[in-house]
Amino acid sequence: MSGTFSIAIDLLLNSLVLSGVFLIVAMGLNIIYGLSRIMNMSHGALYAVGAYIGYSLVATGVNYFAALIITPILVGIIGLLIERTIILPMRKRSMVYTLILTYGLMFFLDGMIKHIWGNRPRFIELPEFMQGMISILGTQYPVYRLMTLFMIAAIMIALMLLLSKTKAGIIMRAASTIPEMVSCMGINMSYVHMGAFMLGCAMAGAAGIIAGPLTTIDPLMGGEMLISSFVVVVIGGLGSLRGAVIAAILIGFVQTFTEFFITDLAMVIVFIMMAVILAFMPRGLLGEGKFE
Amino acid sequence: MGKKNKILNVENIQTYYGVSHVIQGLSMFVEEKEAVSILGRNGVGKTTTLRSIIGLTPPRSGSIFINGKETTRWQPHKISRLGVAYVPAERHIFPGLTVEENLRMAARPGNGKDAWTIEKICDHFPILAERTAQNGATLSGGEQQMLAIGRALISNPKIIIMDEPSQGLSPLLVQMITDVVLKFCVQSGITLLIVEQNYRMALKVADRHYLMDNRGEIVSIASTRELEDNPEIIQSHLAV
Repeated sequence: MSGTFSIAIDLLLNSLVLSGVFLIVAMGLNIIYGLSRIMNMSHGALYAVGAYIGYSLVATGVNYFAALIITPILVGIIGLLIERTIILPMRKRSMVYTLILTYGLMFFLDGMIKHIWGNRPRFIELPEFMQGMISILGTQYPVYRLMTLFMIAAIMIALMLLLSKTKAGIIMRAASTIPEMVSCMGINMSYVHMGAFMLGCAMAGAAGIIAGPLTTIDPLMGGEMLISSFVVVVIGGLGSLRGAVIAAILIGFVQTFTEFFITDLAMVIVFIMMAVILAFMPRGLLGEGKFE
Repeated sequence: MGKKNKILNVENIQTYYGVSHVIQGLSMFVEEKEAVSILGRNGVGKTTTLRSIIGLTPPRSGSIFINGKETTRWQPHKISRLGVAYVPAERHIFPGLTVEENLRMAARPGNGKDAWTIEKICDHFPILAERTAQNGATLSGGEQQMLAIGRALISNPKIIIMDEPSQGLSPLLVQMITDVVLKFCVQSGITLLIVEQNYRMALKVADRHYLMDNRGEIVSIASTRELEDNPEIIQSHLAV
């Protein structure tokens, strides 16, 4: 096998992995925005919290797969507490209030992370069988990276089933379009907002523990992810779930490939691309969207 | 007439939209199983009256009683749970949801074998039965109105609050909607409060009519019979 082919396979798979992580984080942001018109600035920090909780669970001997289930639940509960205590009272105010509020929350969560886990980078210890390499078309590729693709696919399928098949999902889709009419059908919109925030946070947590073993877990990871996921959400169209899929794949590929060829300019090129797309499509690729 | 059988009782409400004082002291009532209309020109406060009743634009003062409970500043979902269904003038069919999902959103179990279910809706609304899997947003105006009414019925309500069901529909469709409202709401014992500019439709479905003028002022209360015998009452209030 030629080296170039190997590198191409490697880049392709890496792009998909990065796209997948962006997608899960951006979907969480979009669900919260689409239902509650809240731009959750603490979303990156919650992603980092997910990674750290995953680290602590695995480090204390919890099975990796169990941690994969427990972490999103714990981050979802953190989301529930945040929503009921500080976001609920701001509900009726303009978006700027919750924007500043969640921005402050980001610093609070970052501080808590440093307080609990310190500045030292952490690594999630993977089970033996996930640490090896697997041969894909003659290219040696890390088993865990490949597995993340399946985990991400499973999360996306679960999300789609939730939105299309369950009453809660139907309510969420309806509430993203005409919330007033939803409340006229006896549904307490306050709980819909709460559920959306919990779900969004749980998704950030899930992305955190999935991405944890791919990188070092450090206090900066949240900020970086916040920026990337915002780029995805803005390019895809605020609140548009389909737009997020397209944009996540786009950014995942562009970032991976530019990092390989012109490392220093990777983020610059991502932002130039965002600027160009927004110049021609100010509302993103699919516009301010609905849950479809 | 005791207060007891007034399923809806509005007492001297004052409702604002931001700073504009839209309803200035409106009182009205609807008795159980009665069909009542509010007639009036555009912009006199008919829709705001309905929105006050269902909790979307709560009045700043005055009281509203539904089924004997004071609901003046209740949130819409609590009011809805008392058995109040709302059919807005815009229909508000959820786009991106299928016809069936739109119905499922509103469905609430009813009492007895006559209760409305998705199957019963499909039996009585063939137009919707053919389109259960279709996106609600792609329906025509008449189909959307049928779905909006079906969505109200499937919540098995005590009272349906309907805002201008004839709006934007052809005379033939208005006739169809009138028949549906008569058959499934009025004759099957659901209380109806309907707002209309199309007084011909209102006279067909309702027995008692509030004629509303600017800022929610009730200038006349008349039965269908009185309005038919004295068309000048309508002429003087609704003349465009």
